Amino acid sequence: MIEMSEEDTTYQVPIGPIHPALKEPFMINFKLDGETIVDADPHPGMNHRGIEFMGMHRNPLKVIPLSERICGICSIVHQHMYTTAVEHAAGIEPTNRARYIRTIMCELERVHSHVLWAGVAAHEIGFDTHLHFTWKIREKVMDLLEYISGNRVNYSMWTVGGVRRDIPESMHPKIEETLTYYEELYQKLEDIFLGDPSIRLRTKNIGILTKKEALELCGVGPTVRASGVKKDVRIDQPYAAYGDLDLDYVIPSRYGYENTGDVFSKTLVRLKEVVQSIGLIRQCVDQMPDEDIDSEPKKAVLLNKLKKAEGEGIGRIEAPRGEAIHYARLKEGVEELDCWKIRASTYNNLTTYAPMFMGEQIADIPIIAACIDPCIGCMDRAEIVDVSTGKSKSYSHDELHKLSVEKTKKLLEGSL
Amino acid sequence: MKDIKLPLNPEELEEYLDERMGESIDDLEIEEIKKGIKQRAMKLIWLTVEREDFRDLVKELAKLHQPHLSVASGSDMGDFIELIYHFAVNYGYPGEEVSVNVKVHLPKDDPTISTITDIVPGAITTEREKQEFLGVTVEDIPDSRRLWLDEVFPEDKYPWRWDDKGMEEQSRYVHDEDEAATPPTKKNPRGGDD
Repeated sequence: MIEMSEEDTTYQVPIGPIHPALKEPFMINFKLDGETIVDADPHPGMNHRGIEFMGMHRNPLKVIPLSERICGICSIVHQHMYTTAVEHAAGIEPTNRARYIRTIMCELERVHSHVLWAGVAAHEIGFDTHLHFTWKIREKVMDLLEYISGNRVNYSMWTVGGVRRDIPESMHPKIEETLTYYEELYQKLEDIFLGDPSIRLRTKNIGILTKKEALELCGVGPTVRASGVKKDVRIDQPYAAYGDLDLDYVIPSRYGYENTGDVFSKTLVRLKEVVQSIGLIRQCVDQMPDEDIDSEPKKAVLLNKLKKAEGEGIGRIEAPRGEAIHYARLKEGVEELDCWKIRASTYNNLTTYAPMFMGEQIADIPIIAACIDPCIGCMDRAEIVDVSTGKSKSYSHDELHKLSVEKTKKLLEGSL
Repeated sequence: MKDIKLPLNPEELEEYLDERMGESIDDLEIEEIKKGIKQRAMKLIWLTVEREDFRDLVKELAKLHQPHLSVASGSDMGDFIELIYHFAVNYGYPGEEVSVNVKVHLPKDDPTISTITDIVPGAITTEREKQEFLGVTVEDIPDSRRLWLDEVFPEDKYPWRWDDKGMEEQSRYVHDEDEAATPPTKKNPRGGDD
C-alpha cells in the first residue's frame, strides 16, 4: 500500500489502466525516489467481466465456449481446466486419445505464447526488428493450430469427456514440418535473446525475484522457475497425457546458468521451454493410442448426465504463464454450475511485482512489467505527481517506451 | 520435525495432520485419479476444518515446506459461506504433489476468518477478493482495499452471494429499462422461494 505525506519527497507514478493493444487493462502505482522505484502497487480489475458469475447462470456445456474466451492467448488453457474440473466433479473419464490430443494442443499453445512473449520483450527494450522476426515465425504455429482445429484464436476443441476434432495420421507430416521449422530457427532465437550483448545489458540483473520471495509469494510458471523453484504442474501432478511423457523442470542451472531470477533467466526459461514443447509434441504423436476422441458423443445424453451429477472438481494446468486452476461444483437436479472459480497465472504473479520493481529505474518498468508475461502490459497513460510541489506530468505509452529505448542506446554508447 | 521427509504420500499426510490437528479436522477424504496409459495418479485430499483451527492447520503445513496456495474458492451455500483453500504440498517431487483442499465454513451472521498472509504472504490477492465478492471479513488483513471491483460498486452487495446481499436483480435486468421495472419472475435455481 502506498502512503504519502507532505514531508515525503517521493513521486507517485500510476501506469495504466488502458492500452488498445492489450487484452486486459491494468494499472500499477509506482512510488519513486528520483529515478528509483521504491514501491509498486498493482491495481487490476479494470476488465473484470464477471465471467464466473455468468458461468453460474448457464449449463455446463454452454460454459465451454465462455471459458475459452477468458483469455485470447490461453484459450486452450481455460477450456482444459474447465472441462477437467467438470469431468472430475461428474466422474466422467476422457479417452486416452483425447488426453494426447489435448497435450499436443497445450504444447502448441506454449510455443505460440513464448514466441509471442519474446517479441514483446524485445519491443519493450527497443528492438523492433526482433519483434517483427518473432511474430513472423509465430505465424507458423498459428497456421498449424488453424490446420488442426479450424480456428486461429479460439480453437473450440474441447468438450466434456474428450475433444471435438481428431488429429489423424494424415496430419502428422504437417506437424513434423512445423516442429522442424522451429528447431532450425531456435539457435537464431537463442543468439538474439541470450547471446546479444546489448540485450544482455538490459536484461541481466534486472527485475530480480529471489527464490525465497518466489516461494512465499506463491508465484508460478517461468517467473519462479527462473529463480530455481521447481514448480511445474505437468511434472508435479501430471494431467492429460503428461504422466506418460518424459520431461524435466526447466530451470537455468540445468543449462549451466545461475538461478538468478532476473529478466535474463526468465527469457532463458521460456526459450528452453519452446525446445521442450517440441520434444513433447513428438512424443505424443509417436505414442498416441488408437481410440475414440470423445467418451460421450451424444451431447443431450451428456447434458442429462451432468444435470444428475453431484460433486466438486478441480482442474489444474501448467499454462504458458504458470500454474492455473479452476474449481467447479455441480448440484444434483440443477442445470447451472453451482460454483465456478477461475484462477489464472497472472493472479498469483501479481504479488511478485513489488520485489521485482524495487530499486529499479523508470526506464526498466516496461521490461519488468512484461517479464512475468502478464495478460496486461498497458502503459497507455502514466502520470507523475510531484507531491512536494503539487506539479504533475503525464507520460504516454510512447514517451515511456522512448525512455526505455533511450536507455538501451545510452548503454550501448557507454554513457550510462 | 526431524523425522519427516518429503515427499509425503496422501496417507502419510493424513497421519501427519491427524496427529497434530486431531479432532478439529472432519471429513478427510483421499482421492486418487489415475490418468493416461501409464495410469499415473493425481493425488488430492479434501478436508473440513473448524475456522478457529484453520490457522493452526496452515502452520502445520508450513512446517513441511512453504505451502503453495493456488487460490481460495468460495461460495454461498445457503445457511453458511464455504471457503475452500486449495493448497499444494510436495511440489518439486515429480508426480508426488498432493492438492490439499481445506474447507472452512463461516456462519452468515459472522462471516469472519483470520488472515494467513503472515504464513503465506501470497494469499493477500485471494483474501482481498473473498472480502469484496463474498462479504467475508478477513481479520488482520494487511491491505483491505478492494482489488477487482470498482469504487462505485455498492458497498453491501456481493456478486457471489445468492441471498438478499446478492446480485439477482441487477444482473438480469440491467440491459432493458422496461424489464427492470417489473419484478423478476424467473425462479432462483438455488432454492429461492417457489
